Amino acid sequence: MSPQLAVTLIVFAPLAGALVAGLFGRLIGHRVAQIVTTGLLFVACALAWVTFRQVFGGAWPHAFTVTLAPFIHVGRFVSDWSIRIDSLSAVMLVVVTSVSALVHLYSWGYMRTDPHRARFFAYLSLFTFAMLALVTAADFMQLFFGWEGVGLASYLLIGFWYEKPTANAAAIKAFVVNRVGDAGFALGIMTVFWAFGSIRFADVFPLVASHADLAWRFGSAQFRLMDLACVLLFIGAMGKSAQFLLHTWLPDAMEGPTPVSALIHAATMVTAGVYMVCLLSPMFEAAPVAKGVVTVVGAITCLFAATIGLAQNDIKRVIAYSTCSQLGYMFFAAGIGAYPAAMFHLFTHAFFKALLFLGAGSVIEAMHHEQDMRHMGALWNKTPITYVVMLLGTLAITGVGIPGLDLGFAGFYSKDAIINAAYVASATQGTAMFAFICGVVAAGLTSFYSWRLIFMTFHGHAKWGAHEAHGHDAHADHGAHGHGAHTPHESPWVMILPLILLSVGAVFAGGVFDESFVGGDRAGFWGSALSATTSGTLLDQIHHLPQWVVLAPLAVTAVGFFAAWYYYIAREGLAARIAARRGLLWAFLYNKWYFDELYDAVFVRGAKALGDLFWKGGDKKLIDGLGPDGVSEVSYAVGRGVSRVQTGYVYHYAFVMLLGVAGLVSYALWAFR
Amino acid sequence: MTPVHLAALAAPQLLLAGASLVLLVVGAFRPKAIRLVAGLGVLSLLAAVGVVAIEPLGRAFGGDLVADQGAAFAEAVIYLASAAAILLGQPWFARRGQARFEFPILILIAALGMGMMCRAADLISLFVAIELQSLSLYILAAFEKSDGKSAEAGLKYFVLGALSTGIMLYGVSLIYGFAGGTSFARIAAAVAHGASGGVLFGLVFLICGLAFKVSAAPFHMWTPDVYEGAPTPVVGFFAGAPKLAAMVLLARVLTESFGPALAQWRQILVVMAILSVAVGALAGLRQSNLKRLWAYSSIASIGYALIGLAAGGPEGVQAMLVYMTLYVVDVTGFFACLAALAREGRPLESFADVSGLVRQRPGLAVAMTVFALSGLGLPPFSGLWGKFYVFKAAISAGLAPAAVAALIGSVVAAYYYLRLVKVMWLDAPEGQIDAPPAEAAGLAYAAAFFVFPVVLIALMALDPAARAAALALVQG
Amino acid sequence: MTIGLDHYLAVAAILFTIGVFGIFVNRRNVIVILMSIELILLAVNINLVAFSTFLHDVVGQIFALFVLTVAAAEAAVGLAILVTFFRWRGDIAVDDASMMKG
Repeated sequence: MSPQLAVTLIVFAPLAGALVAGLFGRLIGHRVAQIVTTGLLFVACALAWVTFRQVFGGAWPHAFTVTLAPFIHVGRFVSDWSIRIDSLSAVMLVVVTSVSALVHLYSWGYMRTDPHRARFFAYLSLFTFAMLALVTAADFMQLFFGWEGVGLASYLLIGFWYEKPTANAAAIKAFVVNRVGDAGFALGIMTVFWAFGSIRFADVFPLVASHADLAWRFGSAQFRLMDLACVLLFIGAMGKSAQFLLHTWLPDAMEGPTPVSALIHAATMVTAGVYMVCLLSPMFEAAPVAKGVVTVVGAITCLFAATIGLAQNDIKRVIAYSTCSQLGYMFFAAGIGAYPAAMFHLFTHAFFKALLFLGAGSVIEAMHHEQDMRHMGALWNKTPITYVVMLLGTLAITGVGIPGLDLGFAGFYSKDAIINAAYVASATQGTAMFAFICGVVAAGLTSFYSWRLIFMTFHGHAKWGAHEAHGHDAHADHGAHGHGAHTPHESPWVMILPLILLSVGAVFAGGVFDESFVGGDRAGFWGSALSATTSGTLLDQIHHLPQWVVLAPLAVTAVGFFAAWYYYIAREGLAARIAARRGLLWAFLYNKWYFDELYDAVFVRGAKALGDLFWKGGDKKLIDGLGPDGVSEVSYAVGRGVSRVQTGYVYHYAFVMLLGVAGLVSYALWAFR
Repeated sequence: MTPVHLAALAAPQLLLAGASLVLLVVGAFRPKAIRLVAGLGVLSLLAAVGVVAIEPLGRAFGGDLVADQGAAFAEAVIYLASAAAILLGQPWFARRGQARFEFPILILIAALGMGMMCRAADLISLFVAIELQSLSLYILAAFEKSDGKSAEAGLKYFVLGALSTGIMLYGVSLIYGFAGGTSFARIAAAVAHGASGGVLFGLVFLICGLAFKVSAAPFHMWTPDVYEGAPTPVVGFFAGAPKLAAMVLLARVLTESFGPALAQWRQILVVMAILSVAVGALAGLRQSNLKRLWAYSSIASIGYALIGLAAGGPEGVQAMLVYMTLYVVDVTGFFACLAALAREGRPLESFADVSGLVRQRPGLAVAMTVFALSGLGLPPFSGLWGKFYVFKAAISAGLAPAAVAALIGSVVAAYYYLRLVKVMWLDAPEGQIDAPPAEAAGLAYAAAFFVFPVVLIALMALDPAARAAALALVQG
Repeated sequence: MTIGLDHYLAVAAILFTIGVFGIFVNRRNVIVILMSIELILLAVNINLVAFSTFLHDVVGQIFALFVLTVAAAEAAVGLAILVTFFRWRGDIAVDDASMMKG
């Protein structure tokens, strides 16, 4: 099979699945829809791994582009539908198709009683297609297409249970918040086109050096075009990747079915922002201000989201904030210039975060759609496999490993690479020190909330015996589980199998790929896909650091673990008592730093008030009054007048005719003088 | 010029005149052979179309009668519309026990008059042609003896028509006197170096008279009443062919004999056009009777055609011809729908009558929707293309403000077109609708099929034909 | 005073105006309307013949003959329609012909 055909199949197999399941879902039934979409996804996944092997094995060209069809050709604005394959997109192909295929499979079990399964699978496949279009884009236009495509699929999937008002609200929120980012993204693309006269990456990147000092004068202020473009593009990334200030939609997005959270809101779509920054690394390298912004925003998010994660009780929300925090790591890694480290963390994170989410889904399933961790506990022997894989996932996310032997779980390699790179960079970049501190503290918090999740869910006393309240993640019917009692139960094998496969990734993805991604082989691995200007020196030096820097992450992780153990195992109930006191700090964290309230007061109510003003004052009174309503009113009145003239009497008609003759003659005499 | 040659140049007229005389005799001796007369009438009209297609071009009778592409184009459309009127009308009257052999013959005579209108190149032949057509139409309007409305419609039409003829004739007499002759060529020569006041005075009267025939505002007052009262198939005929004939005649008079006075008559036409669109759009808003509504719709349509004509030159005349041709199909089809619809023998004429039509007669409801949307000028229906030609001509002639005014009229008129669609598709039906007669439904479907999608192909043939016709009309 | 073209035209114009007024000032009888129309056509004929003489051109007189002929036909058709109307309404008052309006 030729490389071109293979990659084309990878991208379009999910689309085919989406079309079949979406258009003919009712016709062919749920089962066939499931088989078709999942089968095609596994085909795409297999081909993606083949592509990965061949590209890095050297059998295929290291970078090539397949041009499929023209998209937009207007003057110099040229965009084609194309598939760009290089190291970066090859990695993403693997991540996206693997997680997506496993999530498809998992959904067989998780969604087995949902009456709209075909639609669900169609959306999942549609999302996968859009995501693949995004990662294989060869120009900004297709990148934008994929960007909006995944946004649409995300919207559809968050609101999948459309009978639930909260799900609808969450879907709308996700869409609206992303619009804010997309506005920046679109402006960034326009700036790029303005500056370079092209939107094709292959045209733009070589020009960066010569255009680096172009400036845009606005009034008396001067903006470097490269900084301007990169900051605007990064605003888009902030929206999609739920970074500080634009993060509010991600926790709410947990209203969607859990497989969706795993695929879209953990492993793939939310990493699109990181992917974009890495993809555009040649541009960011020429934009120091933008890099600083990326670093600071990433570092703040990393710490800020971790603090919120400490106080959440909804199992999925904890993981959602964890995602937010991990994305912060990736961003500040990219911001300081360690793009390979960012991509490495993106890669490993995809596995262990998808694992955690799917594991959480399995717990929720076991608890009959209870999501509140305060109502769980002591599940480890009821759902042993889930427990083990969740444990592995937690070990991976907290980055457990032995620094001396260089042996550990996936997160150990990637997260430590980032933190160490930040320390190295702090010698030359002021913001990097800030990022380093945030990163280390957040590592401790990550450990605390991750172990807190494990302890609250699987250990301690069982709190689910008497409790019957059903949580948010409600299926359409509760009674179809085949057993009456509310005893937690292990999930079916279609849900367990993906968990096991993902846990393999969570354990080994770091160790296996460490050398290629950030180690000595990275130059050959990444080729020209990532800018090596800064990352080269950064990553060379991470192995020559003071001992305390190397041990710091591990130490705070240990502190976090013991703190969690103390609060939730040794003195179980202490945390609940602290929460019950509703202290200031606790309330601050529990209410997510009051960001939702702030946005509600400023933007939502402000916009509403402004809208009311324009609507009632401007639109209804002024525009409607003088415009449509007024005109129709007048038209109708004139129409009544005209038909009243139509009296039915011949002499009136004759009179009007003569008036006409007289009028026209007078007009003619006047006009023809 | 040999008699044979003369006869060849007036062949369609001779054919129709002969046919109507023969059929009159047949009818007089065999009054029951109505179907035979109607069938022969249709055949002779179709034969006339054939003759039009193959006859030689030239001028006959000292230039009084012209055979050119302009006449041929319009006559073909007119004869086809007349044939459709017989096909539609004869069974319609028969169903009401009103079948009379005079009906097809009157249509034939009207068609003869309209054909002459297209060919007239002299004020006398113009007058005779118009009267021949008008007198037939007066009778047709009053043709349904069982209905008092029909008689009233005929009376109103006659009185006002006679008045308009008087006004026109007065203008004609002035033109004759001040231009020194009756032939268009003679008038053109007199106007070539600046028209005298008397001629222009006469021209305004002439335009007023012709404006009555096309029911342009402010000479439109008869239209709603006559359309409401006259039998439906007859209205379908009224609304289409005679207006095309009058427009062609107007185009020939204005461009051939008053070409140099373009600047003057253009202003009059623009005023009438905008008035027509306004009246058609505004007065239509309050109508509940569909025939009456379509009278206003046709007034607005004529406004568009007048804008095309006012643009002048081959492009403007071509726009007018294309617009009118598409309009004739549209309006014929609409009235065929109305003729096909009845509830226990009572024709459906109001909005309330057709509510929920789609649930009982989906085919006819779709056809009526197509005609309404075409009248509104919605893509991709034929109405849009007609308007497109008109606007293009208007803008290239510097009449963009008039085009914009007309467009605003369209927006207002959209209310009643869409209201009809809404009533048919969304409202609840009341009472069972009779099975539609085959000929009316067939004609309606055929016309709807032409309006979309056939028009897209037909335009390819229509465009060059209309351009040739326009060139012939303008260059004389 | 010699009677010139202007006088003929003036007379014709006056006749035309009387005829026109006859149509819409008269509200009683449809027959009167028919007469008014005849008056208008008469005005036209005077015009035509006057011009014909003035221009030394016979076409105007021929035209006048055509007008006369057609006027006869018109009167016949008009009266026939009037008869139909009378049969239906039993009256020929102009005001009666107002069933349709709006």
